[in-house]
Amino acid sequence: MSLLELKNITKRYGNLKALDNVNLKVEQGEWVAIMGPSGSGKSTLMNIIGCMDKPTEGEVLLDGADIAKVSDKELTAIRRDKIGLVFQQFHLVNYLTALENVMVSQYYHSIPDEEEALMALERVGLKDRAKHLPSQLSGGEQQRVCIARALINHPEIILADEPTGNLDEANENIVLDIFRQLHKEGATLVVVTHDPEVGEIAERLIILEHGVIKSETKSSAADDAVIK
Amino acid sequence: MTKRKMFIRMITASLTRRRSRMLVALLAIAVGATILSGLVTIYYDVPRQMGAQFRNYGANMIFTSAESDKDFSRDNIEEAAAVISSGDMVGMTPYRYETVRIHEQPIVAAGMDVEGAKITSPYWHVEGEWPSSPNEALVGEEVAALLGLSTGDTFNALYTPREDEETEEDVLNMGVDMTVSGILNTGGSEEEYVYMSMEDLESIVGGDPRFDLVELSVSASQEKLTSYVDTISGGDFGVSAKLVKRVTQSESTVLTKLQALVFLVTAVVLILTMICVATTMTAVVTERRKEIGLRKALGASDKSIIKEFMGEGLLLGGIGGIIGAVLGFLLAQFVSTRVFSSSIAFQPLILPATIIISILVTGISCFLPVRSAIEVDPALVLKGE
Ligand SMILES: Nc1ncnc2c1ncn2[C@@H]1O[C@H](COP(=O)(O)OP(=O)(O)OP(=O)(O)O)[C@@H](O)[C@H]1O
Ligand SMILES: [Mg+2]
Repeated sequence: MSLLELKNITKRYGNLKALDNVNLKVEQGEWVAIMGPSGSGKSTLMNIIGCMDKPTEGEVLLDGADIAKVSDKELTAIRRDKIGLVFQQFHLVNYLTALENVMVSQYYHSIPDEEEALMALERVGLKDRAKHLPSQLSGGEQQRVCIARALINHPEIILADEPTGNLDEANENIVLDIFRQLHKEGATLVVVTHDPEVGEIAERLIILEHGVIKSETKSSAADDAVIK
Repeated sequence: MTKRKMFIRMITASLTRRRSRMLVALLAIAVGATILSGLVTIYYDVPRQMGAQFRNYGANMIFTSAESDKDFSRDNIEEAAAVISSGDMVGMTPYRYETVRIHEQPIVAAGMDVEGAKITSPYWHVEGEWPSSPNEALVGEEVAALLGLSTGDTFNALYTPREDEETEEDVLNMGVDMTVSGILNTGGSEEEYVYMSMEDLESIVGGDPRFDLVELSVSASQEKLTSYVDTISGGDFGVSAKLVKRVTQSESTVLTKLQALVFLVTAVVLILTMICVATTMTAVVTERRKEIGLRKALGASDKSIIKEFMGEGLLLGGIGGIIGAVLGFLLAQFVSTRVFSSSIAFQPLILPATIIISILVTGISCFLPVRSAIEVDPALVLKGE
């Protein structure tokens, strides 16, 4: 059984079909990249996978359960327990320190654990920045805090929408290295990107156009990258 | 770390690290609470203050003889006055009225207890001095005009006996020379009289002491005053007691009006505070839509979003309430010393009441804005902006 399975997903906004009969399977431990022009429905797809929105039609099976049919409250619970989110705009709480931002995620999930949160920051190389406010961190550092926060509750899928879109080359590489590391450890990653380089590292590259999956290519670059 | 600790850490961080916005709301709550607690403190203290003020406007009870043709004696008065507890008794002045001839004019001369009159008739405006030594008189302004008397002048007061009365010849013939110590100005009928000490009047008139009227100033509630009057009039004192309606009723009328005013102002202040807090909270929620969306995306339930915003609001309400309670007492103290020139009694209950009301009012004002917070769509965190 696939970890995630989308069956005939359609999402309509009025007359506009943001997603049109999309079928997609993501296996446990897979690294999938989604690319496509602006307005092709990438974020819409992420919202549905991330349990923040429901499709107009079709089934979304996460761990075999159809999330298209559950209540908003249950959707919130699934999101909390199974999804880790990384955003293009980082979205840190601006009045909380890096450490506290990671702990917020723990707070909603279970119990805040300062030690564990600190370890997550250490993982993304930010242990010494734990007490800094987001305004005192660079964009790359903020994105790493965001990744630490996404990891902290050991989600089944990590979803990243343009995680490197606001970063320079050096920071992009740091983030990609963290993704490689996560992938090696067996995490399931779904990454939306405009950047062909980022797309090519993934095991599988899906091209979306006008809400339809245009092509799917497999590569072994991800494994190569880790081996390198 | 427990969930509760993290909760407290988040809401205090929100208040302390986002100071400017929260300061406006805090200011509104603190000002509201200050006025609220200040007014209520004054309101509770005012009956005490007002009682003292109204006694300044004179006697609120009079004694007359139970039978109109019979005089009453000092013993009658003292027995009747003993009914009134000494704590409530502020002052008491017996009066005796006799018609005397001054400059060939019939003038009413009043004998009184000078020190008592100062208390029971504090509104008397005396140009010059109150009588302080024998043969000094306070002359009503109208009498002074009629007779052409001014302070320092002397006049002869001659007793004109009632027809059925027999008097000693020397008193009748010689009269008593008096000095004008001051001119009395009241705006009332008192200006038609000449006031002097009881002893001076007795020396002019001669004969046994007697009394026509006693004016009393009693500090007590309307019910207690009524019960005093009933006890004295019903008792065997030979004294008929009456309340002077004008003063006592206006006292309670003013208090009722004051009460209405305090309630009105309090209601207006509370509503203004609520509007201000609600506006601020609405702005805060709008400003933090992204953060709310993020928290929801991270798995926050509607309940925890409400809890966090309400927590911030209520914490703010509590802090504002504490500040307001303290400032309110200072405000009341300031007003009291300015208006009533006396300090105010500390009401221990008003302190917690102010804090609780602040928290409640803040809670109510936060309710709608916070409701709108849970409508935020978590999907907005993926919208590029
Ligand atoms: N809430 C919404 N209401 C109406 N239309 C929407 C809404 N969200 C998205 N759309 C539309 O759906 C289509 C797909 O949008 P989506 O955000 O998924 O694109 P995207 O691939 O993420 O684009 P980009 O690369 O610019 O982020 C667009 O045409 C967009 O205008
Ligand atoms: Mg997008």
